[in-house]
Amino acid sequence: MVADLGESEPVSTIEAAGLTKRYRQVLAVDEVSLRVDPGQIYALLGLNGAGKTTLIRMLLGMIAPTGGTVNVLGAAVSAGERSAWARTGYLVEGPAAYPELTVRENLQVVARLRRLPGSTDEVIDRLALTEYADRRARSLSMGNLQRLALAKALLHRPDLLILDEPVNGLDPAGVVEIRTLLAELASEHGTTVFLSSHLLAEVARLATRVGIIHQGRLIQELDAGNLDERLRRRLSVATRDDTKAHAVLQAHGYQPTPDLRLTGERATARPEEVATLLVQSGNPPIKLVVEEEDLETYFLRMVGADDA
Amino acid sequence: MREALWAELLKVRRSRLPWLTALAFAVTATVCGLFIFILQDLARARALGLIGGKAQLSGASADWPGYLALLAQAVSVGGLLIYGITGIWLFGREFSDHTAKDLLALPTSRTVIVGAKFGLAAGWAMLLAVQVAVLGLLIGAMLGLSGWSSQTAMAGIGRILVTAALTLLLTTPLSLAASVGRGYLAAVGVMFVMLFCAQVIAALGFGAYFPLSVPGLYAGIAGPDQDPPGLVGYLLVLAVGIGGVLATAAWWRRADHNR
Repeated sequence: MVADLGESEPVSTIEAAGLTKRYRQVLAVDEVSLRVDPGQIYALLGLNGAGKTTLIRMLLGMIAPTGGTVNVLGAAVSAGERSAWARTGYLVEGPAAYPELTVRENLQVVARLRRLPGSTDEVIDRLALTEYADRRARSLSMGNLQRLALAKALLHRPDLLILDEPVNGLDPAGVVEIRTLLAELASEHGTTVFLSSHLLAEVARLATRVGIIHQGRLIQELDAGNLDERLRRRLSVATRDDTKAHAVLQAHGYQPTPDLRLTGERATARPEEVATLLVQSGNPPIKLVVEEEDLETYFLRMVGADDA
Repeated sequence: MREALWAELLKVRRSRLPWLTALAFAVTATVCGLFIFILQDLARARALGLIGGKAQLSGASADWPGYLALLAQAVSVGGLLIYGITGIWLFGREFSDHTAKDLLALPTSRTVIVGAKFGLAAGWAMLLAVQVAVLGLLIGAMLGLSGWSSQTAMAGIGRILVTAALTLLLTTPLSLAASVGRGYLAAVGVMFVMLFCAQVIAALGFGAYFPLSVPGLYAGIAGPDQDPPGLVGYLLVLAVGIGGVLATAAWWRRADHNR
């Protein structure tokens, strides 16, 4: 069955509608609906146990949903439907490899099962595994095992990459390398990337769209470009006499906290007005900073775990 | 299927499985040969210290028909173990090495991958049986056994191969156990239960209708006075074999692969 989304609407690469997975009393994924468009880098953010991997396994037909539907590359995902898999590369729940096979042989196994002609050298080179190509997988470091898993996902130049925590285990240089590679694939080859991560800074640098999942529910979706607008700002002020400054600011319609923090567009957009007021009152500021909420704080606020 | 078979063959070739299973069957043929060597001349065996002074051995005749029958009986018991371990390894290793997930969303279907594993298990099982037969012929020739004829040899080798095939069929549920149990442990437990049941039920005299006892009875493990299993017994073995394959394929296709 192929999804019919109408003529005017472009076919999305991934379309999930009301996707639900229940294990007896545990609701692992709760009515998640999302859409990933071609060329997009969609990052699914969530704490451990939020339902990221279960959702990814449902996208790949590894787990049958209790409710809802999912279409990948225009095909309805089900146990017998395989048309999307020739164009999909994936990495689920940590890297795995046959330990007694070399890196090259591990890739040859995948190449055969994907019915790919030709050599695996290109992907070995691309993932900087040339030095390890004839080394058995059991002797690889965690980082190189992760590279091998990514090589398996990229081997057939897929149109869609579904990656569960793709930079886990990589050193900082490896993280930058994979980030660059994924960004390049999306921008130059139009590859759609759906990834899960708990590394917020990584996601902010890479993703074009972000979904936040918590306790199985997709609680927010936003364009990564708009992320800045969502972050809370506040003006933090310090003076020689904070009590006097508090009274002055209050008298002029601001609502400072006792430790002189001001929220609201009026204060954060025009901090110079606050400075002028304080100078005119004979109590000039010794500190005046617009502080922006960091991604971690924003994420924890979204999932209601900011007190943790 | 060719691609999946190639992949499975590479995995097996790089593992210790072929060597260990071939060694196990070589030891089996050798031990059977030693047993026949002892039976040939008990006084010689005592003089060589191979048996104790009061040992009374029976159960096989020290000639070609006796030796080839003993090999078939050894395949019926050892095969359940060796073929069982092969099937358990082929399926269980995908879970122990966490590689099963990499086989689930590919252009090659899960059913084909399962089929390739069973195909390889069957091919290897029959090669091991041929190895037993060839080793048996060599050891028998070295022992200078009496009663040789080409008909005797063909019948003996045929019995070894059919026993191997019957035993192989009985091990397919172990592949299901390794899949459902997602690893080796549960399946090894099931295998020991199977071995125990096969021995006990055959000893109680119901072996002809209990599939696990059929290969042993066919190989003559219960002695010359015991009737061979009937059609029902063979059909039950076939049903177990086919059932194991179909259930394993269905499990791979339908189960929630959440690990």
